[in-house]
This record gives sequence, C-alpha cells and structure tokens, in this order.
Amino acid sequence: MKPSTVKIKKMPSRFKHQVPKYKVVRSSACISCGTCAEACPHGVHERTEGHNKVKPPIDYKCIGFECQNNDFYCVAKCPRKALSLTVNPMYETLGDYRWTADMITATWIMAETGYPPERKDLEYNTGNSGGGFDKLRLKFPAGRPKIDKFEISTEIPLNRRNDGRAEIVISTPVYGGGMSFGSVSLPTMVSKARNATIWNTFTCTGEGGYPEVLEPYDNHVITQVATGLFGVREETIQRVKIVEFKYAQGAKPGLGGHLLGEKNTASVARMREAVKGTSLFSPFPFHSVYSIEDHKKHIDWIKEINPHALVSVKVSTPNDVDMVAVGSYYAGAHIIHIDGGYGGTGAAPDIAKKNIAMPIEYAITKVHNFLKDEGARDAITLIASGGIRSAHDLVKAICLGADGAVIGTAEMVSLECVRCGNCESGRGCARGIASTDSELADLFNEEWATQRLTNMYHAWNIQLVEILQKFGMKSVRELVGRTDLLEHIDYSE
Amino acid sequence: MPKKYHIHPKLMPLNLNSLFKFKIERGENCINCGKCTKVCIYEAHKRGKDDPRKMADPNTMVCRNCFRCIQECPRGALEKSLDKDFLNIGGSYWKSDIFITLWKQAEDGKVPVTGAGYRGPFTGDGFDSMWTDMSEIVRPTRDGIHGREYISTSVELGRKLNHLTFGDKGQLLSQIHPTVDVPIPIIFDIPLDNLSPNVKMAQVKAAAELNTFIVLPVKEITPKIGKYINNIIVLLTPEEIDKHQGLIKNARIVALEYTGKLEKQLPALKDKIKKAGNALTIIRVPVTKSVEGIVSRLAQGGAEIIHIVADYHGREIPESAGESYRIIKDIIRAVHLKLVDDRIRDEVTIIASGGIAMAEHVPKAMLCGADLTAIDLPLLIALGARIYEEPEKIIVLPDGLEKITVKTVKQRMINLMSAWHSQLLEVMGAMGIREARRLRGETGRAIFFEEIDNETFGKLFKKRETKNV
Ligand code: SF4
Ligand code: SF4
Ligand code: SF4
Ligand code: SF4
Repeated sequence: MKPSTVKIKKMPSRFKHQVPKYKVVRSSACISCGTCAEACPHGVHERTEGHNKVKPPIDYKCIGFECQNNDFYCVAKCPRKALSLTVNPMYETLGDYRWTADMITATWIMAETGYPPERKDLEYNTGNSGGGFDKLRLKFPAGRPKIDKFEISTEIPLNRRNDGRAEIVISTPVYGGGMSFGSVSLPTMVSKARNATIWNTFTCTGEGGYPEVLEPYDNHVITQVATGLFGVREETIQRVKIVEFKYAQGAKPGLGGHLLGEKNTASVARMREAVKGTSLFSPFPFHSVYSIEDHKKHIDWIKEINPHALVSVKVSTPNDVDMVAVGSYYAGAHIIHIDGGYGGTGAAPDIAKKNIAMPIEYAITKVHNFLKDEGARDAITLIASGGIRSAHDLVKAICLGADGAVIGTAEMVSLECVRCGNCESGRGCARGIASTDSELADLFNEEWATQRLTNMYHAWNIQLVEILQKFGMKSVRELVGRTDLLEHIDYSE
Repeated sequence: MPKKYHIHPKLMPLNLNSLFKFKIERGENCINCGKCTKVCIYEAHKRGKDDPRKMADPNTMVCRNCFRCIQECPRGALEKSLDKDFLNIGGSYWKSDIFITLWKQAEDGKVPVTGAGYRGPFTGDGFDSMWTDMSEIVRPTRDGIHGREYISTSVELGRKLNHLTFGDKGQLLSQIHPTVDVPIPIIFDIPLDNLSPNVKMAQVKAAAELNTFIVLPVKEITPKIGKYINNIIVLLTPEEIDKHQGLIKNARIVALEYTGKLEKQLPALKDKIKKAGNALTIIRVPVTKSVEGIVSRLAQGGAEIIHIVADYHGREIPESAGESYRIIKDIIRAVHLKLVDDRIRDEVTIIASGGIAMAEHVPKAMLCGADLTAIDLPLLIALGARIYEEPEKIIVLPDGLEKITVKTVKQRMINLMSAWHSQLLEVMGAMGIREARRLRGETGRAIFFEEIDNETFGKLFKKRETKNV
C-alpha cells in the first residue's frame, strides 16, 4: 500500500465553535460600518445582509498576530479603532505541559484537513515538558534534498525472526494502541480499526475482549492477552495476525488494569464474560509468570494455538526494561513494545503516571543498546509508546532506536479529545470518546471518526516523508538508531 | 503477622470558599436558549431558580474543563479562563495543582485517578527529579488496595542494635532497646500557632485515630488534649524536663530541639527522661549545611531518633542570606549516606520533614534514606488553607473554619491520610516491596534523573561534542 493513495477528505469539527487561540474584541466605538466584515477573508467578522449591526467576532477563525502584515488586518483598517486583538484567556485552559494548546490545536487541524497546519503560529513539534523529546532537536543537513519524495518508503516489517510466520509489513511506522471496549466506545474502536485497515497498519483491542463488529478488520487487529484474560478465547487468538501479551502499561506500571463498575455496562460485561456493574480488575503481574522461562511458556502457548501469528510483548519501563526486552527476544517474541509513563488513555492513579518507572526516551535508548550488545537487535522489532505526540516525537523515537511507535492519545485528540482527564468519572467522557454511555457515545459516527484518524495519520506521514527527504534517506528504516541526527539542548554547548 | 491496617475514609464536603481552577462566565449576548444546560454533564449550567426564563450564573466550581458548552453555545456567549485565585496561590514549590488535589483527597479519601496520560513537566526540583522503579516479571505479587495480600506500611521508631551479643551458654547479653511502631510512615509535625481550638483538637484526634503521632509543644497539652498522650510527642526544652515529669511518664515519645549544647548534655538528658518513664527521645535538628555532621555525632552519642527539619518548601536553611541551599531529597540522601559511611545508619531512626507535600513524597523520602516523614501544611490544605510563597510565606485559613465541627475537620485529615496510605500501597505494590521499613535508602528501587540522563543521553550527546573539539 502506498501512503499517497490514501484518500483525504476534509472533516470538520463536530461542534459549532472551535477553541480560539485569539480574542478579537469590538468596542462600543464601533459604528457598524462593515469595513472589517468586508476585509477579513477568514470570516471573523460577519454582517448578515439586511442587518445593521455586525455580529460579535468569531474568535476561533482569527489567524492571530501574523495578520498584522496583511493589508486586510482589521484592527488597522477599522476607522474607529474599535477592534483589538489579544491571546484568548481561554487558550490557557486548553492543554498542559506535555500536550500544549498549540499541539492539540495543530492535531485537530491535521485531523480536519489531512495536512500539517499552514498557520505559522502553532508550535506543534515539541511540547513544554522541559525534558525528553521536548529537549531533543533534529539536526538537518544543509543543502537541498536530492531525493524525490515518491521514492521514500515509510514501511517497516514487523517479523524479523525468519521463523516462517507471517511476514507482516506495515505501511507507516505507527499503529494504534490498545484501548479496550469499556474504556472507549464501540464507534471509537471500530473507527480505529477502519483507519488501521486503510493505512495497512494495526490497532489493538486492549484487554476488554474482541467485539464481533471488528471481524471485517481482523487482519489489522492485534488482540491483547492481559492478566485479567477478559474475553480471551482460542477463536480470538486464531482470528488475528498479531497477539500481544500485556505485562504492564506505562501509565500504571505494576498496577494492573481497572474498569470502574459504572463503565461495566451490560454489553461490556458480555464481552468480558463478567457481571454487569462490578468493578473489574486485571491483576498485576501475570500470576503464572515469575521468570523468563514462564514467559516463554506463554509465548509458546500462543504460537501453538495460532501457528501464523506474531507475538508482541508489551511492558512498561522499569530500570531493568532492557533485560526484559532481551528476555522476550529469547522467549521468542517478534515485537517488544515498551510503554512509557507519559501516555496512556485509560484512567490511572496520578501518582503512578507521574512517578513510577522511567520516561520512554531513556527506555528506548537502553533497550536498543542492550539488544544491540546482545546481538539481538536485528531479529526483533522495537516499538515505543507512551508519550509519542507528534510526527517529530515519532522521528526522535526512531532516531533513539525504536523501529516504530504506537499512539493512543494522538488518536483521541484527533477525535477531539481535549485531555480534560475525566474519562473515568461518572458517565465517562463528555465528548463521547471514552464512554460507553449510549447517549454520549452517539456523539459521533464512525464515518467522521475514521476520516479524522486517516487524516491525522496522513499528516504525520507527510511530515515523516519530508524529514526523511531532508535527511536524504529513502526509507524510514535507515533512521533507526541514528542518534547522531539528534541534538539535546542541554548538551549542545 | 500484625493486624491489617485500615483507614476509614468518609465523604466529607466542607462548604467553605474553596479553590477552583476553571472559571466560566456567561456573556451579555446569551439568549437563554438552554443548550449549555443540555451539554454540560457536570451540571454547571442551570436555569435561574427565581426566573427559569433566565440562566443562573454558571456553577464554575463543578466545571471539569470539557469545553462542550464553550463549543456548542450558539452565540459563543461563554468564556472560560484560569481562575485568578488559582493562578496566584502557592509558588514554585507549592504548585497550585497541589492545593486542588489535596482538597479533593480530603473530600473523599480516594486515590486521585484521571485519564489521558500524565500532564506535568518531565522533571523538576527535588522529588520531581526521581522516579520509583517497578519490576516487570520476576517479583512478588502485589496487593495494593485490593486486599489479596498483605503489604505493611508500618515503621519502627527507636534505637536498634548493630548486632546482638550472646553469652557462652547462648543467652542474650545485649539489652534490646524499646521501640515504638507507627502503622504509617507519617507523623504530624508541630501545628501552626494560630489554629483555632477545633482544628487543634481535630489534629490530635486524627493522629490518635490513625494511631500515629502528633508533635505538640508541652504548653499545648491541656488536660483535654492530654488524654491522647499515647499519640502525642511531647516537645520540650531540657529545662522543662524536671517540671513535666508526670507528662513524660505517660508519654511514649518526647522531643527536644537541637542546640549546640545539647550534644554534650544528651546522655544526661536521656537518663533524666528514662528515669521519668519509658519515653523515647527525638532530637529535632534544623537542616543547615552541617546537618549530616550533627546527625552523625548525635547518633554516635546515643540518640535514638533524629528528626531533620527543612523549611516549608523543603530547603536547607541558609546560614547567611543569598547562599545556595540544598533541597530535601538531596539532604536526606546526604544524611543517610553519612550515617551509612559511619556504620551507624541501622541504629537510629531518621524522620524527615519540610516540603512533604504530596503522597508520592513519602515513599520518595524513604527511598532517599528517611525512615519516616512528618507533615504539617497538607493537613491544613485539606481544610482549605492557602499558602503563598512570594514575596514572603503567608498562610491563610478559610473564613469560618473555626466554626466547623471537630468531627468534620478530623475526618478530612483522616481522608487525606487514607488517600496517601492507598497511594503508598500502590507505589509499594508496583515496586514489589511489602514492608515499608524496607523502603529506607533502597535506591535500587529508585531512578534518579541525573543518573539515568547521564547514562543514556549523557553518553550519546557528550561523545559528539568531544568529536567536534
Ligand atoms: S471596522 Fe470597526 S467600526 Fe467598522 S464594523 Fe468593524 S469594528 Fe465596527
Ligand atoms: S474525558 Fe476528556 S480526556 Fe477523556 S477522552 Fe474525553 S475529552 Fe479526552
Ligand atoms: S448555550 Fe449560550 S446562549 Fe444558550 S443559554 Fe447557554 S450561554 Fe446562553
Ligand atoms: S466546559 Fe464542560 S464542564 Fe465546564 S461548564 Fe462547560 S460543559 Fe460544563
């Protein structure tokens, strides 16, 4: 599949207004002359035919201070000096250190248009966390790129073991993270699967069982075997091309999974083969795995049940993550998926997210180097997740040593998640993304959601290709482990 | 195996002017269409009680920042901003978000849980520059809050022996020192001076219910409060010892402030206290540059328990203005390592305080080398206290707090400790550590920013520099 064949379609916000970065105020000095309405090509000012008064400015359409250079700049054109332009105080309520308001806004634009924003006023490559990816910069060589974009491949193989199992190649080095049915709505899950199919990549069921409606997308679904074993059956394992063992998740390493009773609705309970309304726990760890040998037994078990499937092992990032990775290689895994603490879409105790285990940037470095030292690096695929927010993060993760990345939050944000963090409280997500409440889950349809995801993947792929072109590379595989292309702002002097 | 320790939280709202983060305002151009009422699932928007044709002012307290009303109001009449009080409160150490999370924990006693990943900075000062470790596969099973297995959070206070000596018939010759157990590694430090009687009483009762301790100056121990002597650490000066023999007799622990003189006096003072009863003695040492030396000498001189006291944002007290200072995390490590070097670490108990602001600080202080921690401000933040760091430290208690019942105030402190205890279990469970006393100085279960950064990025990026040279 060629990424250039993916169909992009404009898919605007579900809501009447978008979150504005700027605030345009029209004072009482306005005489409703209509100059601004005529001038502004972005439609900030409107005067309906036959009305005397100009409508209040539509802030979110304003392109901000860069407009000063235009001859249509309304603030300058207004004969009464009635207009003023400032940053909207509302903008401060959007986003956080990791996902800044600019980054969220830019992701929304990508999901709407399929391209990175044209506006210059959004810093969306790095966040504001003051460390890790946010302190790494790409070092582009000088000079004009010599490679044609169309020659550049973003494919990566997932099976490097040469063991006769499925030779899976994904078309873009990103796939969708596990979000279980119950923690997100069915339309969200289906949209993720449809997008994964369009992009010839994968999505993951999470640990909440395998809904029947995903059947048409079986070839692009990873099913998870987690400690709770919810909904795990031989049939579900036989249906898919990749089975993932989830030992831990970065957002709550060592804590297992937890679905609140309120979210365990009738349909969720059926899927998980549990009793409706009870809180469900996935214990930590696998109570049958206390050594790499036990671990190997589990992998052998999956391989026995499905002779073609690849096995992925998902772990979080403790100090010994490098040993676990090498152990997983020896146990026969095809993919080692390391999940850092900064991502995660499901609910987790704040104390765990912030404090337990190391950031993904360090873990990638450690695992990549250790696998290399052990001579195992070329025989296993290293996937990173937990804090990959942008195409630049993806590239940096690959430069540090990953083959590709799994994203979760970026997908949610494409579906207009505002990162309010209330996914688990009461009825769940007010915006219908992480909710099984039928009224809220009906807030969007699969058509819309699928296209938004497809658009966002497209925008990332475009950025990835551009970066590869600048580096003079024909394949994303050449980028793996190229730390020499990175600089760290703390170390650059 | 000791009985399992339980704290019983109860929903306990406090109707005092509380802090909130998001402020919603409805503009003049609202047409009272009621759309916002429909879309806000947290019920921030309601129609007026008196006149249902008009919208009431938004209940901005309950806003959870979902943006739906903002985006769906047909007129764009709603505005949202960060509340001014929220922006002003705290400072560089007591971040405004801390106030909101502690308040909430005091309200319901639950572990704060949110979705959609971590939102904060990569690292920060002090405790924010370390992570606790966990173990993926080979580890003991966890219990956490779900009770499948026993995790003990209790720690022991008192002098321990370095080794036991036995006689030739195998009889024990060493004299075992008495110790005191606390079921959580947290005690309450000296309360602020100007607290109202209900708050003072509630603090003492909360300490008693939790079966931990509160440090109280001797003059505060009225007969009514004295009933809780089992859970009071009596703070006095060496001169006061004679006068308060009765109190000391009943106390399990007493505390003395460190002074230069005290080092020499210590054996005599301890004897005096021992004569009155069985109380253990804590020496409170303010954290200065020379703290590790002082602590070491005290330990050599026979001190049982040493409490190192940093200032309210966890800083060393500079000897002269403008001097650089260390922060609590590094201070504890320095003290711990000094005692380890002097081969006396196992014999004394170290309490650390100053800047213990959140649940995670407790296990982190312990990993750095403290046996337990002491707190004061979080207990007041549970009641709505506001701290301002700049230009100088100010603590403001909410109006009307003095009229709240002791029961309510106490329960909020219990709730906070319940939430902290559960969080401690979460972290210990993830680490695979089943006994809190094993956390002490267990740096193998900690990941320090400077170390890991050096080990990874340090290697990658420094190499390149030298190449350039
Ligand atoms: S240009 Fe100025 S005076 Fe004219 S309608 Fe716009 S704001 Fe009013
Ligand atoms: S509740 Fe908030 S953070 Fe969670 S999915 Fe919905 S919008 Fe995103
Ligand atoms: S949705 Fe807007 S116009 Fe309608 S009642 Fe609410 S604030 Fe007023
Ligand atoms: S932003 Fe969301 S939670 Fe806040 S008032 Fe509006 S609808 Fe309610």
